[in-house]
Amino acid sequence: MAKDNKKPTVHPLFRHSTQQKNFFDKKKDEDWTSLLNILEDAQRTRRKAERERDRTYNIINNLTDGLIVLDNKDKIVFVNSKIEELLNIKKIVIEGKNIKDISEIPTLKEIVESIVSKAGEKLFKKEISLEKPNEKVLEATIVNLVETDERVIILHDITREKIVEKMKTEFVSISAHQLRTPLSAIKWTLRMLIDGEIGEITPEQKIFLEKTYKSNERMIALIKDLLNVTRIEEGRYLYNPIITDLDEIILKVISSFPEQIKKKKIKLEFKKAEERLPKVRADIEKITIALQNLLGNAIRYSFPGGEVTIFLESSENEVICSIKDEGVGIPKDQYNRIFTKFFRGANVMRMETEGTGLGLFITKNIIDAHKGRIWFESEENKGTTFYFALPI
Amino acid sequence: MTKKILIIEDDELLLGLLEKKLKDENYDVFIARDGVEGLASLRKTKPDLILLDIIMPRMGGFEVMEEMRKDEELKEIPVIIISNSGQPVELKKAKELGVKDWLIKIKIDPKEVIKKVIKQIGK
Repeated sequence: MAKDNKKPTVHPLFRHSTQQKNFFDKKKDEDWTSLLNILEDAQRTRRKAERERDRTYNIINNLTDGLIVLDNKDKIVFVNSKIEELLNIKKIVIEGKNIKDISEIPTLKEIVESIVSKAGEKLFKKEISLEKPNEKVLEATIVNLVETDERVIILHDITREKIVEKMKTEFVSISAHQLRTPLSAIKWTLRMLIDGEIGEITPEQKIFLEKTYKSNERMIALIKDLLNVTRIEEGRYLYNPIITDLDEIILKVISSFPEQIKKKKIKLEFKKAEERLPKVRADIEKITIALQNLLGNAIRYSFPGGEVTIFLESSENEVICSIKDEGVGIPKDQYNRIFTKFFRGANVMRMETEGTGLGLFITKNIIDAHKGRIWFESEENKGTTFYFALPI
Repeated sequence: MTKKILIIEDDELLLGLLEKKLKDENYDVFIARDGVEGLASLRKTKPDLILLDIIMPRMGGFEVMEEMRKDEELKEIPVIIISNSGQPVELKKAKELGVKDWLIKIKIDPKEVIKKVIKQIGK
């Protein structure tokens, strides 16, 4: 029985044929070989995957940006090496911990606040200034991975860019200030020459001197705009609002444009709501600048003999002023750039008009600082209407 | 009697223009190129009016006015500032120091300086 037991067991299905038995054994050997092959393949694939993983890890670890990955419970599951340098902390200190539990680290505090307040947003950026001794400016990009409910935080060092930006602003500010004295001296000299106070001049000389005076005035206006822009960028553009009537400011601004209006034969009209309009909180000097820019543009970009109308009315919670012209208009594809610094419309660049591309940038900043709104409607060659609204 | 005016201004061209303009209006004009020179001239000439710049080498306009305040003989002399800065803090400080007027060079013509001078001390 025991001997019998040693006989190879063959499945009853194959018992009737020895050939089939051989086939079975052969098949078994083949299975083993292919299994081994599969295993070898799997091992090779695994080694390849590991190499890929190591490579990806090395790339991420050596990125020049810092990287933190949070799981769906806000636990820090990965931190790359750059983070140690940027935040001046050791990886081991924060890895594996919940980001909310280590928010006493100053940099992380702001990031944690952002994560909490903007939990629903897919991507957002935040600028973070680190104080001494680790003085840096970082830009944090926080990406919410919707599929896995994880978050990736990328920290980019923008310290150098910030320094360059500040130097640029300071440079403009200092050079603009330095330019004011010689420009004043030129202005005074030309004025005295034109008025014949330094000796008689010929009519021809007078014409040239008057043109020079106007050029100098343009340069003065440009310097003034540049200084205002640098003040805005340095956060030194101060606002001193008082309770006032907007219509008085408008009338004053209108009266400062008699020459341009006459020269272009512009029909200027001021249409004010019949009822007494509520007062607004406004910095008179700044709103004057805003209005001068808007009215100046309306006149400048009008066709000769065109109409410019200023409307002033109020709604429940705002006083709304609009300045409508029948001029060249703004090309549709440039709507979104109209309030950016140094931007000038492609169509007005072809016209022989002066302009620095700073007026609307300054104007928008002024209106924003008043917590107001500014917008426009325009059609090329039909005209433009700029609106601004100040809260009551 | 001819009125005496002292101009304290470090820019040669502006100084020269103001000097000419005021002389043409028959004032007796004295000039100084910085605060130190200005203060010395001030003590010597006892002018009827001072046209004063703010930013100057050695001694600026505000320091000149502070020195004047300490001197009984000088503290009543009217001062008109002629400067290219005009920050609210500076204007406030000038007011406290009793400045009569503040002119911003780049915004005005020399004619307007004369108007302001006449307003203070007459022709």
